[in-house]
Amino acid sequence: MTEYSGYMGKMLMIDLDDGSEKEYPWTDRDRELYIGGKAAASKIMYDNFTGKEDPFSGDNLIIVSTGPVTGTFAPSSNRFDISSLSPLTGLTTSSNCGGDFGFYLKKAGLDALIIRGKSEKPIWIEINEGGVKFHPADELWGLKTGETQTALKKKLAELNGPKGRYGMLCIGPAGENLVRYAAVISGERAGGRGGIGAVFGSKNVKALVSTGSREIKIFNKEKAMEHHKKWTAALKAHPITGSQLPRLGTASLVSSMEMNGQLATRNFSAGRFESFEKVSGEALAEEENITNSGCLSCPIRCTRTVEVDGKKVKGPELETLGLFGANLLNDNLKLVCRWNNELDELGMDSISCAGTIAWAMEANEKGLWDNGLKFGQVDGISQVLEDIAFRRGIGDELAEGSKRLSDKYGGKDFAIQSKGMELSAYEPRRAVGQGLGYAVSNRGGCHLNGGYLVVLEGLGLNIDRQTPKAKAQLCMFMQDFMESISLCGHCLFTSYAVFPGFLISKPNSPISRFVNFIIPHCGWAVGMLDRFPAMACMNMPLIPYTYELKYAVGMKMNIGKFLRIGERSYNVERAVNARFGVSAESDKLPKRLTDVLQDPKDPSSKVPLERMKRIYYRTRGWGADGLPGQSKLKRLGIR
Amino acid sequence: MRVKVKLFGLLRIDSGIKEVELEASTVRELYPLLLAEMRRRDPECSLDEKDLRACVVAVNERRAKPGTKLSPGDVVCLLPPVAGG
Ligand code: SF4
Repeated sequence: MTEYSGYMGKMLMIDLDDGSEKEYPWTDRDRELYIGGKAAASKIMYDNFTGKEDPFSGDNLIIVSTGPVTGTFAPSSNRFDISSLSPLTGLTTSSNCGGDFGFYLKKAGLDALIIRGKSEKPIWIEINEGGVKFHPADELWGLKTGETQTALKKKLAELNGPKGRYGMLCIGPAGENLVRYAAVISGERAGGRGGIGAVFGSKNVKALVSTGSREIKIFNKEKAMEHHKKWTAALKAHPITGSQLPRLGTASLVSSMEMNGQLATRNFSAGRFESFEKVSGEALAEEENITNSGCLSCPIRCTRTVEVDGKKVKGPELETLGLFGANLLNDNLKLVCRWNNELDELGMDSISCAGTIAWAMEANEKGLWDNGLKFGQVDGISQVLEDIAFRRGIGDELAEGSKRLSDKYGGKDFAIQSKGMELSAYEPRRAVGQGLGYAVSNRGGCHLNGGYLVVLEGLGLNIDRQTPKAKAQLCMFMQDFMESISLCGHCLFTSYAVFPGFLISKPNSPISRFVNFIIPHCGWAVGMLDRFPAMACMNMPLIPYTYELKYAVGMKMNIGKFLRIGERSYNVERAVNARFGVSAESDKLPKRLTDVLQDPKDPSSKVPLERMKRIYYRTRGWGADGLPGQSKLKRLGIR
Repeated sequence: MRVKVKLFGLLRIDSGIKEVELEASTVRELYPLLLAEMRRRDPECSLDEKDLRACVVAVNERRAKPGTKLSPGDVVCLLPPVAGG
């Protein structure tokens, strides 16, 4: 039970070993400290993991957690989180997903579902207000994700009548075959990173289905609705969330990245791709895009719809476009659209998959591994994707990811991963703060968990991309801020509207130039704000999230407290990872990015990682070992 | 100087112009010429010079400023500011 609105007041833990279910203890104090989503999941892992668990063992947990605003119809706020121990990194991983499953989990009366143990046979799990039901999934095993969801709809109609509405989360063949970067899919949306799909597979869980009709209470309906209206209007008026994302999607970044030297090309050996225009957001809009779509309750609707084999399907995001385009030296946009669909259907993370294939192409070129893959020769990639998902031929090896492959064959310097997770499409030698983020990110080589500094370094604001100055402080600030946003249930894309529109739309104006100039000189202020959050004990219209917690949830909130929640989340996640052996030594990038200049004539064109790392740890209040000590955890209220 | 001007992002979508050749000796001089070309092709075109001035400019793949001098055959890219991935 809870006194707060927005929450359903119950987390459920099910044990597949004996089919039992019990309520997971979670108090209002926990809600105040961790809010929900990924932070709640990290705390649950902190309370349950010793550091000896194997990702494929029954002791591993799958935690599906919502935020208090999931389903309150705040704009772009229907997200949920899936966390687990990653088969790719051996550490915690999480994926924020925009599908409907989280909404229907709440309608079933749950804020979170925790799954431990292993089923002996393939099953799918139905969650409703009455509890959970286990159904055999032999007929579903082997099906792709689209087929699985269609078959489930049919089965549910037979079981419960034709009128039911459901949220689904399922795996494809890649998850069943324990591909280390297998994804879970909800509708057309993926929980991609870290291989949680393989954890589902290891537990013999093909799908989760939730349904119910419980009311998601809103604390002050009138105020909340008024706030949603204003917020929606602000999102629509902003140049990014109101214009660029709805009209071109994330794919629009390709051209900017190319111009900035930030477009990962030829396995990150360059930042520019001659044929980028053919695989850009503009080409997608002009040649392939039919319409745009979006997650529930989202006014931004950033998703592209394209046609593959006469079927309307979700189009590629920037990461897929960049990594299956420039990074493989491929300029065939139609093929990228096709592969994107195949990846979703097979249930695989496009980032890690593309990063592993790029590594394999270079390993082949350098004579380390004779696998037949070549940059620019991409006709057979569809077959390679299938082979990975079904672990056939070289696909069986590619399913292990680039780190394990480079441990086996050599070529570590060009295995573009951090902590075992492949980097996204941003080449960090032209955005060194993003480079720091990739390295220190708890999840591994993830742009978002790493603080997404590239958005300040040329893809929104335009601060000096090569200076390490203030990047450590900004990285920490952005990590904590983004953490807080997503653990409530909001989409991170709403955060772009926090930057005043004129800074984005008038980058050459004196004020924009001044802001870009001054930010790298303000590291101390960011550090102070983080150390003394009481300095920000106010709310600001530009930051709508604190109002949402106030009006929809009934929780007292200010900016300082909000940032502290993100910091707590980041620290508790780090503390779990410490049990699995993470330390400063783990916060690494491949030598290609730290030791090799992108432009031999420009000595600043590499990531000065060690220098930024030291400041980052100090700013975080961590030891030189890169870990939060007991006193730090205590100060954050982590017990 | 005859230079090739390439447009990207929403600028391209809204104007319908992918690339065009124009005569100018600096980037700044290009703005009114480009706008005139847009209006010539589509009299209803809602873009104005402010939209062009807000763009990030690259000449021969190097970041440039309004005062950057142009040489014959240069390729000038104009890209509206973007974010989000
Ligand atoms: S902005 Fe895009 S990803 Fe975010 S909620 Fe909207 S449609 Fe989903």
